[in-house]
Amino acid sequence: MQAGGGVKEFVPKIVVFCCNWCSYAGADMAGVSRMQYPPNIRIIKVMCSGRIDPIFVLMSFMEGTDGVLVTGCHIGDCHYINGNYKTQNRFEILSEMMNELGLEKERLRLEWISATEGEKFANVVKEVVEQVKKLGPSPLKPVIE
Amino acid sequence: MNIGTGKCYLAWATDEKTREKGSSGGFVSAALAAALDKGVVERVLVLKKHDVFKGIPTVTSDPKEVLDCAGALHMTAINLAKYVDSDVRIALPAKPCDARGVIERAKRNQVNLDNVYMIGLNCAGTMHPVKARKMVKEVYNLDPNAVLSEEISKGKLILKTSEGEKSIKIDELERQGYGRRDACKYCDINVPKMTDLACGNWGVPRGRKATFVEVLTEKGREIFKNAVDAGYVECEPASDKSIEIREKIDQAMKKLAHEWHEKLFEPINKLSDSERLEYYINAFAGCTGCGACKKVCPVCPCGDDAKCTMTEFQSEVHRIRMFNMIRLLHLMDSCIGCGRCEDVCPAGIPLTMIHMRFTERVQKKLDYVPGIDMKKPPFFETELKEVQK
Ligand code: SF4
Ligand code: SF4
Ligand code: FES
Repeated sequence: MQAGGGVKEFVPKIVVFCCNWCSYAGADMAGVSRMQYPPNIRIIKVMCSGRIDPIFVLMSFMEGTDGVLVTGCHIGDCHYINGNYKTQNRFEILSEMMNELGLEKERLRLEWISATEGEKFANVVKEVVEQVKKLGPSPLKPVIE
Repeated sequence: MNIGTGKCYLAWATDEKTREKGSSGGFVSAALAAALDKGVVERVLVLKKHDVFKGIPTVTSDPKEVLDCAGALHMTAINLAKYVDSDVRIALPAKPCDARGVIERAKRNQVNLDNVYMIGLNCAGTMHPVKARKMVKEVYNLDPNAVLSEEISKGKLILKTSEGEKSIKIDELERQGYGRRDACKYCDINVPKMTDLACGNWGVPRGRKATFVEVLTEKGREIFKNAVDAGYVECEPASDKSIEIREKIDQAMKKLAHEWHEKLFEPINKLSDSERLEYYINAFAGCTGCGACKKVCPVCPCGDDAKCTMTEFQSEVHRIRMFNMIRLLHLMDSCIGCGRCEDVCPAGIPLTMIHMRFTERVQKKLDYVPGIDMKKPPFFETELKEVQK
């Protein structure tokens, strides 16, 4: 309940993983170009999307995020040759795992975003936040928050 | 006789004692002993009988010890894959799940397959030793400690004590909630085609003490030929009828396994997505974090310091322990459904069934069955060459 007495609107928390070279620069670009996107995201920067162990994603959910967005360079553009191929492989397995677990698949998304695609970054974030808002809080949120 | 790969034979131990002791002609023990004796391999990994409910994985270089271990132990549940040390040439009798475990370990560079000789055993299932003891007491009305030996023949489990023998149909035991482990009931890989020699009694004509042997690889041929040349084993080609019967039994067992699969998975299968999440949260709520499931898992290559055990902090607030989540994740592509985790879980979580639900999705989607061959790498591995066109 808020001070005003109304029911508190659900504000989703989204963890976004960005690689240093493309998607983080994309996020930067969105900021520099003053594009608006919802403030619900927490960006975690890693050197390459290949560094994102699926465990990071699981841990995010276990610690209470409502959605996770994994981003990296476009296929072929990874600065470490094949990092994003690994990401793709892992994502495939991870999303199957999430499906089997019974978590809505809209809570987890993978997008390739280049350094110049500030607009794409802003749009993807908007979409994810909207979708997760519709779904409501994640059923995996910790017992005590 | 000329032994060829891809061909089927009936074979038996020449030594009468081994023939009697072995569950079907003693071929496997004789061939293993011969391989040691003539230096085809340097070690043999066998299950040494402690009592009918307990076998101890033993690595030996003594052919006599191998022969002493002749005979199956149906009421033990061990996966030998974890005990294969392939620094030297080693042979082992391998049930399908042992062999699949070895192959999955080889994919993870834990085992050098060139050094491993697998003599495959047809398998229709094993029993959980603790449940089996209970079964002996309640269904057979016998003292478990008095059971001297056991045998499965024509669908019956025969127990021998000093006072005689008693046999009950396995179907009947399973109706009463005993019998094989659940993982075995729905396992549909009964003939170990991924090994070097596939052996068993399916297809052996009635009344004959012999083993049906299919030679699958060059290594298998080497072991077989060595055993014949060394005088440990005699053989004759299997008749077309034998081959046909074996195939039929295999198909029937597969069908039965699929029926069990449907029956045992029904409680999860019928749930909706959100109900399933609840089911998993509740199922894992009992986990004590003992780590036993990881310790026994033949495809988990980690030692004691693994990610799953290191992220245990704060687990009391998590809906599902990170430990369980990570195990689910890491086995997505590789669980072979051996049932060991379920066997040892003190909380009684149906772990194998749960792992299979996760694994089967990926297996279907990517048309991949773990532990069958070395052709496909685990999914988490991306090969560099595929990217550098
Ligand atoms: S997870 Fe369980 S059933 Fe699967 S391979 Fe490991 S021990 Fe066997
Ligand atoms: S064996 Fe069972 S209780 Fe022990 S860690 Fe594994 S799931 Fe948890
Ligand atoms: S550096 Fe961006 S995905 Fe590898």
